[in-house]
Amino acid sequence: MAAATGSAAAKTAKSCKKYRMVKRHAGIYTYQEPPHSNSDDDIGEEKAESHDPEQIFQNIQYQKEIMSNIRCRPWPMRQKLRALRQAKEIVLKYEGRLTRTRGYQAAGAELWRKFIRLAYNFVVIFIPWEMRIKKIESHFGSGVASYFIFLRWLFGINIVLTIMTGAFVVLPELLAGAPFGSTVSKTIPKEHIASAQDLDTIWSLGGYLQYSVLFYGYYGRDRKIGKAGYRLPLAYFLVGMAVFAYSFIILLKKMAKNSRMSLASASDENYTFCWRLFCAWDYLIGNPEAAESKAAAIVNSIREAILEEQEKKKSKNLAVTISLRVIANILVLLSLAGSIYIIYFVVDRSQRLERTKKELTLWEKNEVSVVVSLITMIAPSAFELVAALEMYHPRTTLRFQLARVLVLYLGNLYSLIIALLDKVDSMNVTDPDVNNDASNSTTFLATKTPSKEDNLSTTIPDVQIKRNGIVTVEDSRTQGLMVSDSLGNKTVSFNTQNPQDQCWETYVGQEMLKLSIIDMIFTVASILLIDFFRGLCVRYLSDCWCWDLESKFPEYGEFKIAENVLHLVYNQGMIWMGAFFSPCLPAFNVLKLIGLMYLRSWAVLTCNVPHQQVFRASRSNNFYLAMLLFMLFLCMLPTIFAIARYKPSLSCGPFSGQEKIYDIVSETIQNDFPTWFNTVITYISSPVVVLPALLLLFMLIYYLQSIARSLKFTNNQLRMKIQTERTEDKKKVVQMAVARIQNLDGNDKRPEPETDIISQESSVWSSTPRKNGSVLNFESPVTKGTRIQTISQSVPQTLPSTDVARPVNATPTTSTSLTPAPSVSSVQKPRNDHITNRYSSVVHGSASELCKTKPYTPVTFKKHTEDVHSEPLFRKGIRQVNPDAFGAGAPGFVGRRPYTTRYFVVNENEPRKKSLRSTSRLQRHFRKDESGDVIELYPRNVRRYVVRTPHQMYSPHPSEDEEDEEELGREFMTRSHRPRSLSDLRPAPRFYIGERADGHILMSKDLARVHYKSWDNGFGLDLDRPPYAYKKVHLNYPEPRVKPKAKQKLEQSLTESDSISIESSSDPQNSSNDQYIQVIHSKEKYPKPGTKLTKKKSKNSIDLNMSEPNELVCSNV
Amino acid sequence: AYKRFSELLPKEERENACSARVPKSQILTLPELRANPFQHRICRVFSTSDDGDDSMSFEDFLDMLSVFSDSATSEIKSHYAFRIFDFDDDGTLDRRDLEKLVDCLTGQGEESRLSNAEMEQLIQNILEESDIDKDGTINLSEFQHVVSRSPDFASSFKIVL
Repeated sequence: MAAATGSAAAKTAKSCKKYRMVKRHAGIYTYQEPPHSNSDDDIGEEKAESHDPEQIFQNIQYQKEIMSNIRCRPWPMRQKLRALRQAKEIVLKYEGRLTRTRGYQAAGAELWRKFIRLAYNFVVIFIPWEMRIKKIESHFGSGVASYFIFLRWLFGINIVLTIMTGAFVVLPELLAGAPFGSTVSKTIPKEHIASAQDLDTIWSLGGYLQYSVLFYGYYGRDRKIGKAGYRLPLAYFLVGMAVFAYSFIILLKKMAKNSRMSLASASDENYTFCWRLFCAWDYLIGNPEAAESKAAAIVNSIREAILEEQEKKKSKNLAVTISLRVIANILVLLSLAGSIYIIYFVVDRSQRLERTKKELTLWEKNEVSVVVSLITMIAPSAFELVAALEMYHPRTTLRFQLARVLVLYLGNLYSLIIALLDKVDSMNVTDPDVNNDASNSTTFLATKTPSKEDNLSTTIPDVQIKRNGIVTVEDSRTQGLMVSDSLGNKTVSFNTQNPQDQCWETYVGQEMLKLSIIDMIFTVASILLIDFFRGLCVRYLSDCWCWDLESKFPEYGEFKIAENVLHLVYNQGMIWMGAFFSPCLPAFNVLKLIGLMYLRSWAVLTCNVPHQQVFRASRSNNFYLAMLLFMLFLCMLPTIFAIARYKPSLSCGPFSGQEKIYDIVSETIQNDFPTWFNTVITYISSPVVVLPALLLLFMLIYYLQSIARSLKFTNNQLRMKIQTERTEDKKKVVQMAVARIQNLDGNDKRPEPETDIISQESSVWSSTPRKNGSVLNFESPVTKGTRIQTISQSVPQTLPSTDVARPVNATPTTSTSLTPAPSVSSVQKPRNDHITNRYSSVVHGSASELCKTKPYTPVTFKKHTEDVHSEPLFRKGIRQVNPDAFGAGAPGFVGRRPYTTRYFVVNENEPRKKSLRSTSRLQRHFRKDESGDVIELYPRNVRRYVVRTPHQMYSPHPSEDEEDEEELGREFMTRSHRPRSLSDLRPAPRFYIGERADGHILMSKDLARVHYKSWDNGFGLDLDRPPYAYKKVHLNYPEPRVKPKAKQKLEQSLTESDSISIESSSDPQNSSNDQYIQVIHSKEKYPKPGTKLTKKKSKNSIDLNMSEPNELVCSNV
Repeated sequence: AYKRFSELLPKEERENACSARVPKSQILTLPELRANPFQHRICRVFSTSDDGDDSMSFEDFLDMLSVFSDSATSEIKSHYAFRIFDFDDDGTLDRRDLEKLVDCLTGQGEESRLSNAEMEQLIQNILEESDIDKDGTINLSEFQHVVSRSPDFASSFKIVL
């Protein structure tokens, strides 16, 4: 078909560029296309007209376009290469003629592009684990790979965090800070030095580790260190905040990027089955086992979908399941509460143990983190068991599971941190007392014990009461007594140890690091034990076991993407929580993630099978991130709380001696900045500035939110519009098919194009009353009634104010004019026969269909402000397609064409409209030349009936009345260009359609003559038509007038090519519709009957005069 | 890619790998295609061989990889996906094509195969969803329309060598 258009193009050779655009579209959207003809044609044309510089330039542009998007065309490689080579040749050949500098520029750009590509290839090598991830991806599909990509991303974040803390906190402290052992906070107490290198001390992060850069306590309190005067405390604080800020920013950025990508496809349209079938296979899968499981998953999902479809129809007795679910939820809640209680209890116990016992066993030191890790490992499987009770849909199960696990993790972290902070509380309470003692007496003596005993025995009960009844008051009493008892024995050691042990920040950091380490160990252990050894056992024992191990009970370990991702999130949460107190935690996490990456990927490749439930990669990405964000926020809270609430410990850390940690900022501002800055800061932080700023912020947020809401609203409506249009389409096509079938027995070929007209029109103009008018003229009263009904329905809705009266007036006239239709048709015997039976078949369908569609259309019209924008687009689309389709000339395609146009419309961009339009015009011109005179008759007939009937009824006078009306109507339109352009836009598609129809059908000339004659009879009356046209314009476009100017402009620009030529004729009536151009054109083909018959009316002569410019217009275009 | 391609060729033809053709059986030994249920279709679609033995030249091979690469647009991908799914090469997906497609996806196992009723239901549903013009088949534009809405298509329709 492109060849056909191509040959046509060779004939014209006038606006070859525009032509090619059409062709290219054809190439993209048709199934297969011969690109040879395309490129050959181009070259031929090139040679023919290489003299015009403008043409050359256009050509070069075009060829460049080819080069740039040659990748986007579904041609075989050989043809692509050929086309590319040719395009390049042409460009090289002609470009030199225009300018030399441009050639250099192009060469430079080319070089740069090559370099970029090379650099990109080079960079890929350095992306960590790229190959590994690709390998996993190719074995297990994109779902599993998404886990690793997420891991890598986290790794990147942690590296940045590590660099931040390392460069600004750790390194300065190491290089310029006071060396180890120089101050109290940096030395290991004497009693501990003996055991400082023991394994269990190191294991519990005591000893040397405790007094190292790992933890908060090591950092000096000097305000400036080193020669350059580095402000370490300030840096420490700022870095701590920057860690959070950076994480937030990077997370949000990534999420926004992801959501931008997924938003385009996020519409919840229901293509479940198609997607399950067409997009089911993951082409990356290369491992036979993975392929098997994938196939199983696909089968499952398909079956599931079918079942769901069946389930939808019948409702079930839900009592059992509901009760089961309630039970399950209770169980889950219980286990959550239990886990929280256990953690709390363990922390409490460890506190007590620390207080009561001097030497703690290995277990006692680590029990907190071990218990927490154990819970995090066991509880998810328990949840999974519980979830089996619930009998949810697998997807919901997965979601529930994830939510529960997330809550569990959060609960764990929170209870841990709360318990720790409680402990800190207790430390702080005891702290001042001890400190008083310390300040009172420089040496710690046993003589102080009485007072100390008092202190402790009072404080400890206090603390324990605070803890809300975990330990009862009696308990605490005995506890206090016991402590005081034991304290008598070892007050000395207690006192000397006190100032350093009281560093609660270090303690928290220690706990977090310990937790992280234990978590890592457990992860490794679980991978080894659960996955690896199970895999080994299953593989090697399955031969000598009584059942098939591989498919029955133990199986291979599944790779549960969701839970693993959650674990990563949890891990990262720990890091964020502890990062402030232990600056090296990110660094440690980097190591951990590296280890995890290798271990996991190894485990996945050796001994895992993919999860049965397919966890969609694309959708999950943002889900992971959302969870991470949630985690980050919740993990930040305790840290911020601790920073804001607690007093930093007195004897250690960079903030010692200050009331609050954040005081360091204000202090620095006061002391180290110039005074003007200080005053500025005080001004800024004063309520005078802060309150309005806050208010402004709120207002801004509110404004943005409302904008977002309105956007969402329009979004929804557009989607609704798409949906209604789709349903309309479906209906129309059904109706069309029915009409086609009905017509098959009657007229052999004619009905097809006719239905085509209707369907096309209706698909584009789902609510054009005018079409109703023309079509329904031949209808029985019943359908007429419905039609009037529908119009009157649409009128009050669409036309709010002044216009209401007019269209309502208009509709009765048309409807009354309908009644005499039979009598009119009797005048025209020869034609009437097939017209009537043609319509009888077609019209019923369309009328009923209109009734159906009516309820939708008012809604769309009223609500969608963009409607009118899109409708010109639609028209464009049709115009563009029709010539193409006609060139193809495949009658079998008729049914499908409306849809192809639809796609065109969607893909059409504005800049092309104009050119497309003109090309389509050109095409039309051709058609006329080729298929000759036969062309126009058919549509005219249809049209004529519309027009004629009123005239015959009312005789000339009423028609004049109608013209008056028309004048009125135009006054209403305030003489704007728009209505005119609209109305002449509208006949155009109709015209093409008719043309095509004729090209198909009316081949015999004499038949055409008959038609023509009969048409010319009505021609004079045709002048009466404009009123209707205008009124219908009214009807169709109630809102353009309400529209802002921008739209008007758009429409004008769209129709300029038309309206300019037409406006030059300056006759309002003629300008109203394109039709006249056609009319006159055809008239010249048949000068005889045309002139003869048009003499009946004086106005027709005017039209004949008019024909000259119009003809010119046609040929010019 | 060239290396991988020439590896598929027998030794004596290595020198002029660009002009030689690799038989289908060799192509199918690629691990990425081995597990693919549509391997035969892929070979058929991308092969330009005249005698219909689905052998591939180097250009065809490149073609295939470019379609399955990351940088191909989803339009191209869906176009070729359509051709792959179009088992009888008639330009539309009709019921028979869909049946074959489902069979390919579900594999040959007895228990994994869908029963006739299920198949009927499935195809019915699919046609309801995607067949906009209700002619009982799915044409390219309908297919592209549906597939372009899918979030996973572009990410899963690729092969990494």
